[in-house]
Amino acid sequence: MSRTDAPPQLERVLAMIPWLATHRDVAKTEVAERFRVSVDQLEADLALIMMVGVPPYSPGDYINVTYDGDTVDLWLAPYFTRPLQLSPAEGLSLLAGGRALLAVDGSDPTGPLATAIEKLEDALGVSGVTVEFTTPPFLSEVRAAATAGVRIDIEYWSGGRDELTTRTIEPGPPFFALGEWYTDAFCVLRDDARMFRVDRIRSVRPTDVTFTPVAPRSGAAVYHPRPTDPRVTIELPPHASWVAESAPSEAVEDLADGYQRVVIAVSERAWLERILLQVGPEARVVDPPEWQTVGVDAADRVLARYRA
Amino acid sequence: MAEDDEASEPGASADVGGADAPDRRERLLNLLAALLESRAGLTRDDIVTNPTLGYPPGASAARRAFERDKATLRAMGVPLNGAGDGDTRYRVDPKEYYLTNLEFSDDELAALHVAVTAIGLGNSAGEGALMKLGGIEGTGSMPIAELPFVDVLAPLFEASRRRSVVSFWYRDTIREFEPWGLTSKFGNWYVVGLDHGIDAMRVYRADRINGEITTGSPNAFTVPGDFRADTYLEDRPWDYGEGRATDVVIRVDPGFEAAFAQAVGPGAVVDHADDGTTTVTVRAVELRALVNLVLGFLDHVEIVEPAAAREIIVGELEAWSR
Repeated sequence: MSRTDAPPQLERVLAMIPWLATHRDVAKTEVAERFRVSVDQLEADLALIMMVGVPPYSPGDYINVTYDGDTVDLWLAPYFTRPLQLSPAEGLSLLAGGRALLAVDGSDPTGPLATAIEKLEDALGVSGVTVEFTTPPFLSEVRAAATAGVRIDIEYWSGGRDELTTRTIEPGPPFFALGEWYTDAFCVLRDDARMFRVDRIRSVRPTDVTFTPVAPRSGAAVYHPRPTDPRVTIELPPHASWVAESAPSEAVEDLADGYQRVVIAVSERAWLERILLQVGPEARVVDPPEWQTVGVDAADRVLARYRA
Repeated sequence: MAEDDEASEPGASADVGGADAPDRRERLLNLLAALLESRAGLTRDDIVTNPTLGYPPGASAARRAFERDKATLRAMGVPLNGAGDGDTRYRVDPKEYYLTNLEFSDDELAALHVAVTAIGLGNSAGEGALMKLGGIEGTGSMPIAELPFVDVLAPLFEASRRRSVVSFWYRDTIREFEPWGLTSKFGNWYVVGLDHGIDAMRVYRADRINGEITTGSPNAFTVPGDFRADTYLEDRPWDYGEGRATDVVIRVDPGFEAAFAQAVGPGAVVDHADDGTTTVTVRAVELRALVNLVLGFLDHVEIVEPAAAREIIVGELEAWSR
């Protein structure tokens, strides 16, 4: 539950005692499921509970518990009558998770989650936790197609190659990671799974073809630098530390003058062009040598528009 | 929190004792129960000499074991009062220990379970909280979003809750700061509040706070009832700065209209001309911030006017050839 050297058993037992005291004679399997342990582990927990008694012991100082058969019965618990207060990380996790889910469009703003979060905020004495997601233009269309299992035609801007393409996809439920919404889709053109950024979808047109909706992969699967992607070493000035934080940097080294040297997997040249132009010429591509002029070449190309 | 050199303790098994002695988990539970029960508090001697708690023989070994138990309980979040020399009385105030009865309905617990499983925060603290609230209710959800926590968020949250002033390093400066609230926007976590150094509201990105948070005493400030953290986030950095607002006209190539309109926000005016070109007019105070956004669109987007804005972008691009 939290980073302590206490056995997790101790924290679980302190949470379990008050629940058991108010739920008499309950099936072991139900308790085990509710507290995410095996029945064997539950029995070990109950054996520990049975040893609790405030010294010097006298009858009534022990917590009474029986668990011979398939059920647990705990009564007369003179202490640990309520669980331990929430730790800051626990309180924040509930609030942040709740606020975040309420911020996803389609959530019920007056349902049980909203009332639970209000109770929690009252009890913790806070109201200052808010969560906001980006809402790309076609997010709800993609979500609807993923839920209903409708194949869609999309116009998609490939950021890396800097080109607009037309695809037919079977979208997975959108999920948010690394600051963007993604859909893990089946791309009919490629006949393979492809990850699409929802904000780069420029139009959505439903087709008559349906598919069986699938569950999303976790966000950890969003970024896969391929082993074959070129690795580019860049030296970045102090004001550009956001690059190392937001880009898929594989190595970051602090240099003497406040610069950082980062190694980034670059699958497409246009992506690097954008980063370099935004940082400015203090950004230096070190390696490989043939990428050292990416910034100046891009700057010249953009300048051509202004000199035309 | 660390009060003793427990790292130098020669092996945890040393204080467990023989086979018939209660093991450490029992000792911790019974110690906690005794501290909760005691109104007047217990001295270290009261505790380590109580044979039923099962501390190891020998004053030094018992003292080390007790220090280790104290640290463990505190790390679990137990509000264990008392610190210092041998005369200190230790106790756990039930009012501080026990969770407020939140009286969640089963529906509410199930909804919280859905939230904790749908939103990945990169830790299991949410599940730990659900255990304390009576175990895991319902089936949860598939993951919908990831908003990973950084370590400074929990102490900032606690300081915000207790209205304690904090100090921390941010961009090579120590900030003394009233943390009014936390907000996550577009995947990043921010703390919003009053910066004492400049006596103004500031927003700091949590993952750029360096190192430890130092927390002052509670009830050091008040937060206005209508405060909302998210209203302080600068959506559009070109809205902020010295000087006067200028209308900047930008030509956007076909295929990039939606992305550019989204990037500049709903305040911009979008014109689709009959010849298929699109221009977007953005009101900006800080032209350089808007130029930076335009640069991210490479040669698909062009600043048309005013001349001052064109000069800035041309200057930035020409700097590459100097």
